Amino acid sequence: MDRTPSLAESLNRALHDLMEADESVVLVGQDIGRLGGVFRVTKGLQERFGTERVRDAILAESSIVGQAIGMALSGLTPVCEIQFEGFVYPGMNQIVTQAARIASRWNDEIALNLVIRVPVGGGIRAVEHHSESNEAYFAHAPGLHVAFPSSPTDAAAMLTHSCSLGAPVIFFEPKRLYWKRRQQPRELVEPDSPLGARVVRRGSDITVVGWGAALEDVLEAADLVSPTIGVEVVDLRWIAPMDTETVLESVANTGRLLVVHEAVGFAGVGAEVVAMVAEHGHRHLRSPMRRLAAPRQLYPPADYEKHYLVDVSDVVGAIKEMCG
Amino acid sequence: MLRHMLMARGVDEEAGLLENQGALDLWLSCRGQEAAQVGSAVAIGEDAVIFPSYREHAVAVTRGIDAVSLVSQWAGRTYCGWKPQYHRFFPYTLVLAAQALHAVGYAIGKRIQNAAETVVVYVGDGATSEGDMSEALNLAAVESAPVLFVCQNNGWAISKPSHEQMLTSIAERANGFGVRAWSVAGDDPDSTYLSCVEARRHVDTSQSPALIELRTTRIGGHTTTDPHTTYREADELAAAVANDPVAQYRDALLAQNVVDDAWLKAVDDDVVIARQELMEAFAA
Repeated sequence: MDRTPSLAESLNRALHDLMEADESVVLVGQDIGRLGGVFRVTKGLQERFGTERVRDAILAESSIVGQAIGMALSGLTPVCEIQFEGFVYPGMNQIVTQAARIASRWNDEIALNLVIRVPVGGGIRAVEHHSESNEAYFAHAPGLHVAFPSSPTDAAAMLTHSCSLGAPVIFFEPKRLYWKRRQQPRELVEPDSPLGARVVRRGSDITVVGWGAALEDVLEAADLVSPTIGVEVVDLRWIAPMDTETVLESVANTGRLLVVHEAVGFAGVGAEVVAMVAEHGHRHLRSPMRRLAAPRQLYPPADYEKHYLVDVSDVVGAIKEMCG
Repeated sequence: MLRHMLMARGVDEEAGLLENQGALDLWLSCRGQEAAQVGSAVAIGEDAVIFPSYREHAVAVTRGIDAVSLVSQWAGRTYCGWKPQYHRFFPYTLVLAAQALHAVGYAIGKRIQNAAETVVVYVGDGATSEGDMSEALNLAAVESAPVLFVCQNNGWAISKPSHEQMLTSIAERANGFGVRAWSVAGDDPDSTYLSCVEARRHVDTSQSPALIELRTTRIGGHTTTDPHTTYREADELAAAVANDPVAQYRDALLAQNVVDDAWLKAVDDDVVIARQELMEAFAA
């Protein structure tokens, strides 16, 4: 029987194992205890580990992040949950001006183990502020690691790594994958380092870089154009710091680069990937690079999100045009 | 306490001069707040972790941080010139009230690790307008976190006077969150000390938060780049200078024969050495 864990189940298991193995790991977030989180990622954990370690937070994001920084300074490893990416902004000051800089301010005398989990992205017919992709804001802030997994198993490994990184991690969890069981098949070549990108499909005609839920669409598109066009798919995994080497190596082999992401394209992470290749890998290019991303418009009401989001046919179209 | 106040005053004066010469980029004077700072710091003792704001130079001096370490961040050499763990005096936080939440989280974190300890956070009156201050008071209250909030109300948030910043006192506001609070004059170190001892004892014994508002005076500008005489009345400034807590405490202890000229001379010699060290470190 095919019983692959969903993202929510995989993260739940990872958190359980982390808490089992390390007493310093505590969870802080709204409705994560009694309720088990609005996405049930922390289901059963308060029953198992108690209210001291699985802490239902008061309804204030700055308070969640700010207290977690204090907890980390006291020697704990807090893993916070922000309920939706659209509600992270009240905590943004604590993330950018405090969490990201504290180790430097302490002259690196301390390591801050601190993870801030953020459900992200759309495609789930949600109301305003519940469907956006805001990774670029965090990628821009020095001192933050930004994780953006695309599969349940990898997410668990990345979360485990995040807890002992000694630096604050914004850990994005694509909502669209929380309860999805079927995944596009992928080659699971281990990345060179836990923070590395990963080639999840081999091909020689074009490199497509993506992350998070968008990677499912990219892999499906790669299947559709195969075998006419050989698509190499790079799962970036970590937005920051970015594993540019893996991207450059792939582009050196294929000569073409397409970046696909769910977030707004303007000043988005895709622009950084393309700029990086323009600066360091342009000699490998056989055709102009492209990005597929959302327009610089507000995320629409749910009835219109299908038109707003990049979909499989968009990716297929771009690949065919670039390789035509 | 007088020793710490005199040292803080000397460091403060020298840093102001160095900034004037361009040897420091900026200095935030604590002139006028030495009684509030030293009185509270001595009451807190040496054990409690302190999360300061950015003007707590006299607290830093009381914690044994030397002048050069204290001043170096204002010369652009570092983000923090002292060893935070060693002095149990954490780095200055320039984003107002952000450290208040860290203090509450630290106290909760220590309790989770069965190592409960009293934690102290310093904020100014301006910082109490920030959302993080309200969130920290509320969180400390509902979590019953052993945090002592020391709020120095010097009457000014740069150019905005306290009465335009808030309708109630800070202590009254803390009460509204369910946090025990006091509002006391902070111009005399002895009375400040006694009030802060009571506040600290409350936190220690009840294992719940408290706030003490120390009403004090900013004699200088917000920073060395703040032309505060343009927005402050001459009378208020003259009164601030006349009520200088360092001079008053020095005169009082001398009159009561608690200290004598020889003691003062010895302290002055130490202050001169500290000022020389500052000059050598930054004016060269």
